[in-house]
Amino acid sequence: MGEHTVASFDEDLEQISKLIRDMADLAGSMVGGATKALLNSDNVLAQRVVSDDAIMDARQRELDDRAITLIAKRQPMAHDLRHVVGAIRMAGDLERIGDLAKNIAKRVSAVGLSVTPRDLSHSIDAMAQLVLIQVQGVIEEYAAGDAAALAKLRAADERIDVKYTSVFRELLTYMMEDPRNITACTHLLFCAKNLERIGDHVTNIAENAYYVLTGEQLPVNRPKQDETTMSAPVT
Amino acid sequence: MTQMLSPDMTMTETVTEKTKIEVKNLNFYYGQSKALKDISLSLPERSVTAFIGPSGCGKSTLLRVFNRIYELYPKQTAEGQVLLDGKNILDRSQDLNLLRTKIGMVFQKPTPFPMSIYENIAFGVRLYENLGKSEMDGRVEQALKRAALWSEVKDKLNASGLSLSGGQQQRLCIARTVAVKPEVILLDEPASALDPLSTAKIEELIDELQADYTIVIVTHNMQQAARVSRQTAFMYLGELVEFDRTEKIFTSPREKRTQDYITGRFG
Repeated sequence: MGEHTVASFDEDLEQISKLIRDMADLAGSMVGGATKALLNSDNVLAQRVVSDDAIMDARQRELDDRAITLIAKRQPMAHDLRHVVGAIRMAGDLERIGDLAKNIAKRVSAVGLSVTPRDLSHSIDAMAQLVLIQVQGVIEEYAAGDAAALAKLRAADERIDVKYTSVFRELLTYMMEDPRNITACTHLLFCAKNLERIGDHVTNIAENAYYVLTGEQLPVNRPKQDETTMSAPVT
Repeated sequence: MTQMLSPDMTMTETVTEKTKIEVKNLNFYYGQSKALKDISLSLPERSVTAFIGPSGCGKSTLLRVFNRIYELYPKQTAEGQVLLDGKNILDRSQDLNLLRTKIGMVFQKPTPFPMSIYENIAFGVRLYENLGKSEMDGRVEQALKRAALWSEVKDKLNASGLSLSGGQQQRLCIARTVAVKPEVILLDEPASALDPLSTAKIEELIDELQADYTIVIVTHNMQQAARVSRQTAFMYLGELVEFDRTEKIFTSPREKRTQDYITGRFG
């Protein structure tokens, strides 16, 4: 896309893009940090993730201010309008990803490594890796202007949903095996659910980014595979 | 054959929609210079159509073809067809006076006649109709009410039209246009010389008038086009680049030239 006749318009838009990239980097680092802290019972790292959330919130407020000022000053149209409105919405999702990562980090001290079965650590780790790839990928594809890759990335959330279902079942099994696992496994279940929710926010971001780039909405229905509602234990 | 452009309406809209003006392969010349190049589009009845584009793109020229006002000037010629309710207004047999009662026009600069507010309106009506005093009073009142000016001028109808503010003068011109009961109203930058409040009143008026009239507006103010119109045409260098629903034009236009223009990336 060419430059605006008014050069400062381009600068205003670039500042908004930069904030989105910064928030996405921070979201990736928080998700990665929270999972690592959980798997290694690393309370110091968990604390860092918790404090990072304040930075995330501040960035979102700054982005909102800039976007609203830009709309008031420039009355953006077409792609510019989609870009600004899309940024506001993406920032909302990134901020929620930060909250969910913080929530995982806060559970680190409650879970404790000793009670985490080794296989389970692997499952959650694998799920977290999938989520992390999505979080890091979505803004990269948006910055690269690759709408097709965004559509693919949105569809790839299904793998996280499938993984979540299997972690859920695994946790149920551990809890049934030994009631002493219940406290830790419940916390882990919340962590897994948070990771799954992070995946959903990434799909929202992908949908918004796709709309910004193309002016078209992706189809509403995405294959959804949360089967946990149907997996209640049979007594 | 040129493909006919018409805004891409939803199904329900297309079935109820009637074309008021249909332009077919229209070319326009100022002497040797070609100002409109093979324009084809159709304007639906009782809705607002906006024409946008940089200065010199031909949007005002196109408006001037709709009521053949260009014929007042030498060496200006139009080729092709402009069908009003299916009848070609460019035909030599077209009665110009009749055409201009059907298609009224309001210009950028308010142009009240140097006479009373009442006479500004009655003058035009008398050219076409022979009304008694009370009928004429009624017509003047109705036109001023239609133009949302009645409450401001009802106690000073004998004051000069020139004594009104710019915004009031423009509404007086709209009242004058409405008084002769046209079918189409052409607005050439009607609010560009007005303050924001007067502009808002004109826009509100356009919104009300579209229930009864087919309105065509030329404007440089894109936010205005986005606010008042149902379909928007973008013109550039005498060509019709894109014609679509207004929301589509201002949120995700098809053509790069449209996008560049409305986002301020031209030239």
